[in-house]
Amino acid sequence: MHDVPQFVTYLFAGLLVAMILCLALEEKIHAKKSVIVGGFAVITLLLAAAFGLVRPETVQILGHPVTLPVYIPGVDWAVIAIILGSSLFVDVTSKCGLFTWIAIKLTKASGGDPLRLLIYYGVMTVVFSAVLNNVTAMIIVGTLSAVSLGKLRINNKLLGFLLIEALLTNVGGLLTLISSVPNIIIGNAAGISFVDFFVTASPYVVVATAVTIFVGARVFAIKGLDSEQAKVEAAILVAGFDENDGIESESFFKFGTLMTGLFIVSMASVSVTPYVKELGMGYVALTFALIMLVRFKSTADRFYQALDWDLLAFFGCLFIVINMMEHALVLNLIGDGLKPIIALGEITGTGVLLFASAIASSVTDNIPLAAMLAKILGGMELTSDSPFWWAVIFGANLGGNITPIGSASTLVAVTIIHKNKLPMSFAGFVKVAVPFAAFQLILACAYVLLVLG
Amino acid sequence: MTNLDQFESVFKSSDKAVFNYVRPTYTNGLIVTDLDAVHVSDFTNQIRGYLSAIDDGGLQWAALTSDDFQSVQELLEQIEKRKPDLIVTYRHLKSKAWQWPYSLGEYLDVMTQATEVPVLVVPHPEAGRAYAQSLINTDRVMAITDHMTGDDDLVNTAMAFTADQGTCWLTHVENQAVFERYMETISKIPQVNTDIAREAIAAQLLKEPTDYIAACKTEIERHKLSVQIELLVVMGRRIDEYRQLIVDHEIDLLVMHTKTGDHLAMQGAAYPLAVDLRQIPMLMI
Repeated sequence: MHDVPQFVTYLFAGLLVAMILCLALEEKIHAKKSVIVGGFAVITLLLAAAFGLVRPETVQILGHPVTLPVYIPGVDWAVIAIILGSSLFVDVTSKCGLFTWIAIKLTKASGGDPLRLLIYYGVMTVVFSAVLNNVTAMIIVGTLSAVSLGKLRINNKLLGFLLIEALLTNVGGLLTLISSVPNIIIGNAAGISFVDFFVTASPYVVVATAVTIFVGARVFAIKGLDSEQAKVEAAILVAGFDENDGIESESFFKFGTLMTGLFIVSMASVSVTPYVKELGMGYVALTFALIMLVRFKSTADRFYQALDWDLLAFFGCLFIVINMMEHALVLNLIGDGLKPIIALGEITGTGVLLFASAIASSVTDNIPLAAMLAKILGGMELTSDSPFWWAVIFGANLGGNITPIGSASTLVAVTIIHKNKLPMSFAGFVKVAVPFAAFQLILACAYVLLVLG
Repeated sequence: MTNLDQFESVFKSSDKAVFNYVRPTYTNGLIVTDLDAVHVSDFTNQIRGYLSAIDDGGLQWAALTSDDFQSVQELLEQIEKRKPDLIVTYRHLKSKAWQWPYSLGEYLDVMTQATEVPVLVVPHPEAGRAYAQSLINTDRVMAITDHMTGDDDLVNTAMAFTADQGTCWLTHVENQAVFERYMETISKIPQVNTDIAREAIAAQLLKEPTDYIAACKTEIERHKLSVQIELLVVMGRRIDEYRQLIVDHEIDLLVMHTKTGDHLAMQGAAYPLAVDLRQIPMLMI
């Protein structure tokens, strides 16, 4: 640990606050996340060099001394590899038509009954959020909801469907270690395995999903069809959907289905698979992405273009900023601020940390929060089953349900709402979402304290 | 939000029009001619034989001769009084203009638009332009449109007029000229890849009617009807395409829409088709 003048620490803390504010106002200042955080990475690197906080490090790689630029070691490449590999895999696999096939099959299986449709779409949102990511899940289920409810001529229920689905994306994002970025960051820092994560989180996800759908159906008056004639008419309307329409090649569909299953199994068994456990989940994700790309070997570049480079650049720059904050002892400063919370003990401390994480995540991106807290909690030598880790995981994910800017998936839901010309203001969203989010957070707090504590 | 649009497109494309088979029934046919009483009887018998496919035993025929109406107004009054559910007539009633194939004649013009009743237009008895297969039977019927998807009415009508063991062609001809005009415009927009747009739009335009006709075929097979369905979905110049198809398949009857909502004129390509394709009977619904 080097000495850092106090004013330097406060200067960097000020920059961190400014970056978080800029991210919260991303829509207002019309700048992409990667540009905002990239700008702060450039400034903090320059200031860190000027104040002598960082200098190039020489490391031994395969017996050779290599001097790395200061911005390289700060990046968590394992996390970047998981995100890059998973995004690429999901993007290519979605072309096989598996996810749209499942979505349309469930629509037909509902017989057009609104309540059954809500249950199916709700469960599908959670599962897709867990297997894919919450943004893709919201896009698939949200767009299908708009099309199918339009077909059933019950567009007046669309707002309720979209809001419930948006609230469930962040619940589904809790199901596995790779379901959301905060999970990946915290899980990696805490050393939680894929299986342990799933076993720990799934009971909560099941209960929270069931209650959200049940209460949502009541709040938005989504009821089952009561007359036989209405049931027959609805069934005829949804029967017009053809689940095979989006499948361009049956062999690729089967291959994509098989690979999706293998991907989940492989990710779940990384920690117990010889050799692979040394390479990590990022290796598995990238390998599966590459296998899928073989199918499109002559046009693989179009999938590279489709990658969310804004998100990847954002992560890279964010890790650099956090690393500079570490060098400037800003993380120590925040850690000192968190100590009283931790000192409150596993019960009160966990509860306060969970709600504080949720409130912070509701107004700004939960990824910087997760990255920062992962560093701070990591420095406290907590065990991987400490409830503090779970407090951050639950808080960072569920906080996204409080406001429309709390998570990318709620933003997608609002976009679909506006695309369908439905009225929904920021305050309107908060008014509807807060009771659900409050319930989910209280349930999470009780779960962490009573079951995991 | 490219992905949002992509998935929305996939789901919209998967939403297919469903075909419901309902056989229309005809009980009161009216044959409108400018023939005298002697010739109208032969003509009526010929029509009865030709349209035996729609006669389930309850179809009554009546015929108007040249003496029954002297003006369009009187003809409309006759139709109003008799309330037919099918009219059979030909072009250029009470006129020698049939010698010049450039119009329908004032009676037919008004009849097709002023009444809700389907009008079967047969070749003029004196013109001698009819194909050999014309007015013998209806075992080769062709429904023609440029918007087949979801048109249950057209398909059900064409099916009803097709004789047992006959063949019903469901034909969708996408207007090549209109398509080219849009493609020409798209080729001037830098943000849109012209090759991809051409390929994707053409494929989608032809896919929808193809899917719908496949649904019709499935539904008709489910009802165990003894009519064979043939699919013809192409892009081309409509009148030329239809004329060629009629010759190639020796079609006995064309079925098409001519009425659109509250418009006074015949819809889209219906009028030029009705003027041009005068070698075989044409049912205007």
